[in-house]
Amino acid sequence: MRFNLVLDLPDVPGQLLEVLEPMGRLGANIVAVIHQRDVKTERGTVPVQITIEGDKETLDKVMGALESKDIHIIEVDGVLRKEQITTVLIGDIVEEDLQDTVAQLNQLKGVRVADLDLKMSDKEGNSATKMVMEANSGLKKEVLKNVKELGAKKGFLVINEV
Amino acid sequence: MRIVILGFGAVGQGVAHVISLKKDYLQRKYDLNPQIVAVTDSSGAAINPEGLDEELLLNTKTEKGKISSYPDYGVPGVDSLKVLDEVEYDCLVEVTPTDIDDGEPARSHIIKAMENGKDVVTSNKGPLALSFKDLDDCAKLNNVEFKFEASVGGAMPIINFAHETLAGCSIESIYGILNGTTNYILSRMANEGSSYEQTLKEAQEMGIAETNPYQDVEGIDAACKIVILANSVLNLPVTLKDVEVEGISRITSESIALAKKEGMLIKLIGEASPDALEVSPRLVRQGSPFAVEGTLNVATLKTDLADDVTVVGKGAGSVETASAILSDMVNIWKKRK
Repeated sequence: MRFNLVLDLPDVPGQLLEVLEPMGRLGANIVAVIHQRDVKTERGTVPVQITIEGDKETLDKVMGALESKDIHIIEVDGVLRKEQITTVLIGDIVEEDLQDTVAQLNQLKGVRVADLDLKMSDKEGNSATKMVMEANSGLKKEVLKNVKELGAKKGFLVINEV
Repeated sequence: MRIVILGFGAVGQGVAHVISLKKDYLQRKYDLNPQIVAVTDSSGAAINPEGLDEELLLNTKTEKGKISSYPDYGVPGVDSLKVLDEVEYDCLVEVTPTDIDDGEPARSHIIKAMENGKDVVTSNKGPLALSFKDLDDCAKLNNVEFKFEASVGGAMPIINFAHETLAGCSIESIYGILNGTTNYILSRMANEGSSYEQTLKEAQEMGIAETNPYQDVEGIDAACKIVILANSVLNLPVTLKDVEVEGISRITSESIALAKKEGMLIKLIGEASPDALEVSPRLVRQGSPFAVEGTLNVATLKTDLADDVTVVGKGAGSVETASAILSDMVNIWKKRK
């Protein structure tokens, strides 16, 4: 069987090798690699498409190995592995320890804050931040609940997706 | 069909106007001849068992400001409940001002009419949001029709639409923009980059927001509507106090700018679902059905068979709201005929 993968790799030397190594080691056959360094995401990472072939057991092992290496898998056979969840918070964003806010959101397994944008306001307690979180699929509800609870604790107005 | 209209503000006048406008149409299409036999406002009433003239009612209200000044048939100072006792009628149109503390006097009017075996049509959110179940039970007990399409989303069809057109589907949840004033403010803020305070002021000058905008901007109006939908469409026995409400007064132009960077807009969304009963500012995708501008209302019903179904329409306006009341009246007439 075949897996078509889309991975999201940082644009630094050695990343592709890091991904291909377990595939070769575990006996998966690499059918195609599409790697265009000039096509970048907003965050400056490079999406790489790889097609691998092998029996189910081998492919599952490869997926496990990629995950244990914290390699960011976006898509498997056209199905999104990660969901993007956007939220906007209004309040004393900086005073309420932004670093801690991000850390608390990252605490949930399978979730990471992938992008953060901050706009200060001239009015006190009115700065705003937009966060894009990436979560394993199926976690969205839990993430939204987590954000809401965090907002309630820190006095933020939470604007979640519908 | 003999009709009593209680309350002669924008909606009440709209009802008189559409009846006058559609007389031939109603006669031809449904063999329906609606006769307004009594109208009340805070000044008293106009009563004529033979039927009042719609145009004269409207002119009297515009020129004199009081319905009790209606020539020959005006009755100053008479109480609405007394009118319901004394006048022979078939259907009550309850359109007095909305009160969200105790739902009065509309609640008493509706119950009285039902107990007297009369059908009731209303646009009044107060009594529905506070005591939906009592009113619904009362209607069933007295075997009368009780319709309130105009109470949610004005002219946007949703309640009858869910019950009749989507009769074969189970409706799992409802999401919607149910308040035109806040949608206008948020749309303007997104388009102009203006502040909340400035935009609210502009909306007030244009007559879109009220002098006291509290119920709109703090989400109370939308919360009333979500309660009505939760009860009538999802069969959830909830009231206004069960809704988690957050309005739009804390929304800043900065937050809207950040959302836009991600291709999103901030809208005040009401949600009734097994997970939540809430009104809060939410992010919606630009280009999605929720990205409506101006004072429009929109609602998406999530169903088991038909997937998502979305309706859009004018959420306010005298004639628009009256159109929903007229449709309710026609449906009652068809059933009774």
